[in-house]
Amino acid sequence: MTRTTKDKRGISGGISRRSLLKTGAAAAGLAAGSGAITGFPTIWAQNPITLRQFGTGVSNLNAIAEKCKEDLGITLEMTATDSDAAAQRAVTQPDSYDIADIEYWIAKKVFPAGVLQPMDVSRLTYFDKIVPLFITGKLTPDSVIAQGTAPHTVGFVEGPDSTTFAKAPTGWLTMVPTIYNADTLGIRPDLVGRPITTWADIMDPAFRGKTSILNIPSIGIMDAAMIMEASGELTYADKGNMTRAEIDKTIDFLIAAKRAGQFRAFWKSFDESVNLMASGEVIIQSMWSPAVAAVRSRGIPCVYQPLKEGYRAWGGGIGLAKHLSGAKLDAAYEYINWYLSGWVGAYLNRQGYYSAAMETAKKHMSDDEWGFWVEGKPAKGDILAPDGKVMEKAGAVRDGGSFEERMGKVACWNSVMDEDRYMVRRWNEFIAA
Amino acid sequence: MAIAVEQPAASPARPAGARLVSVLGRLAAYLQAAPLALILGVFLLAPILMIVAVSFWDYDFARLYPDFVLTNYAETLGSWVTWRTYLNTLKYAAIVWALTLFIGFWVAYFIAFHVRTATMQTVLFLVCTVPFLTSNIIRMISWIPVLGRNGLVNATLIEMGLVSAPVEWLLYSDFAVVLAMVHLYTLFMVTPIFNTLMRIDRALIEAARDAGANGCQVLWNVVLPLAKPGMAIGTIFVVTLVMADFITVQVMSGGQSASVALMMRNQMSLLQYPAAAANAVVLLVLVLLMVAGILRVVDIRKEL
Amino acid sequence: MAGERRSVTFWILAVFFGLFLVFLYGPLSAILILSFQGPSGGLTFPLNGVSLHWFRNLTEQQAVGDFGGSFRRSFTLGLMVMVVTVVVSLLAGLAFRRRFVGATPLFYLAVASLVVPSIIISLGIGVMFQQVGIRPSWYGSAFGAHLTWTLPFGVLIMFAVFNRFSPAYEEAARDLGASPWQTFRHVLLPMIAPMLVGVGLFGFTLSYDEFARSLMTAGTYNTLPLEIYGMTTNVTTPVLYALGTVTTLFSFLVISLTLGIIVWLGRRRARG
Repeated sequence: MTRTTKDKRGISGGISRRSLLKTGAAAAGLAAGSGAITGFPTIWAQNPITLRQFGTGVSNLNAIAEKCKEDLGITLEMTATDSDAAAQRAVTQPDSYDIADIEYWIAKKVFPAGVLQPMDVSRLTYFDKIVPLFITGKLTPDSVIAQGTAPHTVGFVEGPDSTTFAKAPTGWLTMVPTIYNADTLGIRPDLVGRPITTWADIMDPAFRGKTSILNIPSIGIMDAAMIMEASGELTYADKGNMTRAEIDKTIDFLIAAKRAGQFRAFWKSFDESVNLMASGEVIIQSMWSPAVAAVRSRGIPCVYQPLKEGYRAWGGGIGLAKHLSGAKLDAAYEYINWYLSGWVGAYLNRQGYYSAAMETAKKHMSDDEWGFWVEGKPAKGDILAPDGKVMEKAGAVRDGGSFEERMGKVACWNSVMDEDRYMVRRWNEFIAA
Repeated sequence: MAIAVEQPAASPARPAGARLVSVLGRLAAYLQAAPLALILGVFLLAPILMIVAVSFWDYDFARLYPDFVLTNYAETLGSWVTWRTYLNTLKYAAIVWALTLFIGFWVAYFIAFHVRTATMQTVLFLVCTVPFLTSNIIRMISWIPVLGRNGLVNATLIEMGLVSAPVEWLLYSDFAVVLAMVHLYTLFMVTPIFNTLMRIDRALIEAARDAGANGCQVLWNVVLPLAKPGMAIGTIFVVTLVMADFITVQVMSGGQSASVALMMRNQMSLLQYPAAAANAVVLLVLVLLMVAGILRVVDIRKEL
Repeated sequence: MAGERRSVTFWILAVFFGLFLVFLYGPLSAILILSFQGPSGGLTFPLNGVSLHWFRNLTEQQAVGDFGGSFRRSFTLGLMVMVVTVVVSLLAGLAFRRRFVGATPLFYLAVASLVVPSIIISLGIGVMFQQVGIRPSWYGSAFGAHLTWTLPFGVLIMFAVFNRFSPAYEEAARDLGASPWQTFRHVLLPMIAPMLVGVGLFGFTLSYDEFARSLMTAGTYNTLPLEIYGMTTNVTTPVLYALGTVTTLFSFLVISLTLGIIVWLGRRRARG
């Protein structure tokens, strides 16, 4: 599926389709946004600039680097790591990158460490196109702000040299969102044998030894919190920022479940979650939507199951290294503006993630693609993966529905808690139990 | 010869002209040892001192503060989780050690004493070595399709009618962790034991036989005592590798078992470096004590 | 020890050895088989068709990561580590034949280097470089980190070699009027050359495979093991296994080459 590799044929096919779209868009003479697609200065070709970007493989896609070279002349060197290593590299080796691609929850720690510099909003051409979720925390003006480290809470700082997060939007943005999504339980409909409606279902004794949650402490405990709340054990003031007493209760609950043999394994990476599911080791677990698609692409039934409590959301973003200045900094801004201008967004949307500026991405997607991926409509034709393979047949409908339905029902965001020291200690206890 | 530190100068007193040579020689010794000392000083001693220093630092949500506080140690040593995790890691170390020692000894013994030609010995030894030269990570994850619920072993067992439902504890269990570790680390036992066995003077064994000892007695009274240094060196390797392991434990237990290094990793993942450093110092002291204990039993400098 | 006919012990041990080999190679063969998965196959059994798809795929650009670049880096790093390990271990081995102040502490430092958990060294070097303000890189900090792992092996092997090395040859050469350099070059070196090749092989493969020590020291660019690990977090295709198969073949090649060199050195010595 998405993150599988692509063969040459697919790439060239994709390019022709994209250029077609591009000309289409230009011909339509659409507003400012599309004009800029071809309007990027190509001075970088004469004055070669290399930007080093690192981050998890989820968004560090070579295709983006290729297209960036083609459009901007900027060489983008991508290094993929696992999410742990990404956070650590961000903090301990700030000289080793120009662009950091990290998750929002860890940004709460990385940014105050002073290794990144905020972006001047006035230099971001598409700032006003960024989904409001990342600016105000509300998808629509009347939605409720979710619990946890919501991206907007770590989205802005007070000034160009500040490392304190601002309460309200300012002119200094910490990170530009890359991808985000809402996680829920993934299930094997052929093996669970009953409808799944709530996070609490993962604790059903019938699934003993066939369940899994995430093994990254700060995220795993959120899964647990969703489960706890769903089964009526505890109501949290803020799942993403528990008190010690809440942490204690949650971990004790997890320990009890572990002792009872409820879990088969804990997954830490995308592929582990896919393999656990595809090999039948696990039949119900917390999962990413593209991971569900990856299982399905093997011909194994798998459903991304919307639940009544809502989703646990996560997001990543790119930030500028502190040491960037001069031409490199200019190039970095150029890159970020290009990133938001639509092509990348469309590419990421097609993988089942959501992108920062949906409006610009739309122009780079066919109506059918947009309808399927974002609006939750049945696909009119086959939906193709970037490598040209059929991902979903005509008529398929995306699990969880439209963008608004998914991201509008976020119960909490991945978080790091103020009590994270205590939390990790207790988490280690859970693993040791 | 053993190293010079152990022995008085190898040759008897020489005429005066040779004294200059010996002074030059001594100077040469320093020059020759310098690169090793330099590299280990910069990349081993200094980083460890750094870790020790950091373990006393204070930290908050996002930053480290150079300081001298004992809270990191208090938190590490004062928690039963730490003790339990150490115990669990030691358990792995003990089991893996026993298994690798057993397997390693018999494999080495077979190659050294039962294979007749030197060529064949070399070939068999290399056959044992090859897998150890491929990526550890790949070797580890290669167990997953073998042991899984629908893996090779379970498929075979069910096919043969030996079990009716897949055996669950093959993967994501302590069993899987130990199995993978034995798989990863046995060579570290085979090589030193093989090395010592090859150096046993065959005349000793003949002599023992002539004195009327049977196979078992020869093994027990001659071969085993002489193989001890190799076993000790192998033990050092295996124990330290297991004590420091995090990735095998995490992958093979499906994240359900703890090890000391994994605990450190969890702290590092939330950038709590001073806590991880304190843990590292404790682990380091423990490992060095264990090794020192082994070295008291065997002087590896003589026995290499 | 057995007579003309193989003893029962031999057969028992032979079976044991055989089982050990099955244990060693079993999972590897699982990888081997799975690397021939059909284009829509996954990382686990059963096979979903048979093809060379994933080997072809390996040579193409991946959606994420860069096998080629990381392989080149690991290979270069392995060679660098190999050369330095051979030279420094040889020198240290020579040094330890004489008495010098600090020999014992240095020896134990080398042993300590072997037993200090990799992750601690990795963390320490990473933090130290950061504090000092040097940029970590695979050819700098990671290079040093790898040396702390390969050098003790090299030193211990050289130690073992010189422990059993009779000084009589050198004395004879000296008595015949050879300069120290000539003695070294024409007497000592040819005798220990095969062991040096062995040290080199050790140095190369230990470095080529090292994961934990590179983890926090590699800087901007990934080495191959880091890349593989990074890939396992995203790649869900048997291309990983194809890589495993290829690296195993590569190891076979390196070993055969080493063996060839040792045999060749032996022949040359025998002739000379």
